[in-house]
Amino acid sequence: MSADWQNSPPADEYSIEELIISVLAEQFRNDDQATNGMGSFIPVAAFMLARMTHAPDLIWLAGTVGLEPRPKRIPASTLEAPLWKDSIMYIEQYGDAWHYLFSDRWIEKFCVGAAQLDQFGNANNSVIGADYHAPKVRLPGTAGLADLCSLGKKLYYWNLNHSPKSLVEKVDFISGAGYLDGHDTRDKLGLKNGPQLVVTNLAVMDFHKESKRMQLKSVHPGISVDEVQAATGFELLLPQGTVPETARPTEAQLGMIREDIDPDGMRNK
Amino acid sequence: MKEKLTTIKQAITLVNDGDIVALQTMATVASPMALVRELIRQKKQNLGLVVLVGGIPVDWLAAAGVIDRLIGAAVTMEQFGLCQQYRQAVEQGRIRVEEISESVLNARLGAGARNLPFLPTRGAIGTDLMKENPDNMKLIEDPFGGLPVIACRALNPDVALIHAHRADRFGNVQYEPTAIWPDIGIMPNAAKKVIVSAEEIVDTEVLRKNPDRTVLPGFIVDAVVEIPYGAHPTSFYPNYGYDSDFHRQWTAISRDKDQVSDFLQKYVSTPVDQSDYLKLIGGKTVLKHLARWEEEE
Repeated sequence: MSADWQNSPPADEYSIEELIISVLAEQFRNDDQATNGMGSFIPVAAFMLARMTHAPDLIWLAGTVGLEPRPKRIPASTLEAPLWKDSIMYIEQYGDAWHYLFSDRWIEKFCVGAAQLDQFGNANNSVIGADYHAPKVRLPGTAGLADLCSLGKKLYYWNLNHSPKSLVEKVDFISGAGYLDGHDTRDKLGLKNGPQLVVTNLAVMDFHKESKRMQLKSVHPGISVDEVQAATGFELLLPQGTVPETARPTEAQLGMIREDIDPDGMRNK
Repeated sequence: MKEKLTTIKQAITLVNDGDIVALQTMATVASPMALVRELIRQKKQNLGLVVLVGGIPVDWLAAAGVIDRLIGAAVTMEQFGLCQQYRQAVEQGRIRVEEISESVLNARLGAGARNLPFLPTRGAIGTDLMKENPDNMKLIEDPFGGLPVIACRALNPDVALIHAHRADRFGNVQYEPTAIWPDIGIMPNAAKKVIVSAEEIVDTEVLRKNPDRTVLPGFIVDAVVEIPYGAHPTSFYPNYGYDSDFHRQWTAISRDKDQVSDFLQKYVSTPVDQSDYLKLIGGKTVLKHLARWEEEE
């Protein structure tokens, strides 16, 4: 843990990835467990940053495989053995990994990306277009997202390209259940928790308590509410009063990200 | 114990046109690539694939017109991008996808392995995966009064293709300590036949020294073949890492039909055996580099 991280001033210059990493790191508490999937440089950097600052005991299951690994820095893949170097335990996927994931005691939070996200936080990583069997674009597929969304986890979405194409009124395909049609439609299926935050290159959004519609929580420094709305494919709810500005990463956080966590810049790729 | 050691040609004759083939693969990790190349060389037709997360082998099988359906959770080469040949085939309706989540795949294979009609999961409730797959996923009441669950229909692939660290001639298969995904943990147990390529074939006495590393018993394995670097260009830890340059060579041309055909001709059709293939991909220099993955990272 770095001694001076608590009193470090906000940075003047930072990349959007670094801002998103610092916002996501904030979401993890000291008694949480975190895990990551493929292509997850930003979440992995966020876990590592949380562990170096306010959450030194945050448990990390790298790739849902390696317990408490010690990679020197983020490698070129977040689903290959270099990430889970020097683990305490390899967790067998067909066995214990899913025991922990199915449990409502462990691994409560996930950071994920989605090609499309809609106003109720439903996620699509499957197909673009109306015909499932001859789609306009075949995306990679749901992988474990469908499971995590329905197993009562808290989802934190990140999106580096906030646009009317990625934030849409209704997703073409629900690969991960959000609040479905809003209000109590998710509750009625017995699904707990669900999407908590959406962190993009422009703003941070959360979900309205009753309607479950996406609402603006904060705009990033230098970005206006109108710009965020114009880049969104549906009408965002606004909080009462002035929309706050997203907290900038601190100088200390930037130092850790750039020098210790990800000196090779995998977060930018 | 029965002899299972054979040649790669003989082993792959166990795969029939139209079969459902469970394939070990995880983005850029551990896939039986030599067996996959042999499927293409033998011009298998109308195969269905079962994958957890498919990578380059799925792209090659799509490019060669070997597969016409896929049951799986995702297809991607992670940092090397999407599988373009697979993607084009799906978008043009040449490959039909039954997309299921990881827990649904595990439940379907688990039911298959245990001779049950289905196993339940709570993953994927509320998604469109269920809507598109009514034959294999049904929401059912909990008979004990709890919340509803999805019944996932048993899946028994016709054959599973596996790559492992070592095996004896009787098909007893060992895996070194590394990530164990469901493609080793459950796929072979659900499959009707199992074909294994191993980095080395050893005397049974070698296996007896570490029985805790034996992952498949010989009685469920139908054929075993010795293929060093049999997972290249995917990674096979702790022996070797994935071949980044090779993956990039593929993704650089994988959108173009003619270049794809030349690539497959060069790396799949032309090499007469594995040692010929290993020379083609750069020989000892490249293999030594891939073995040093820990220093590289």
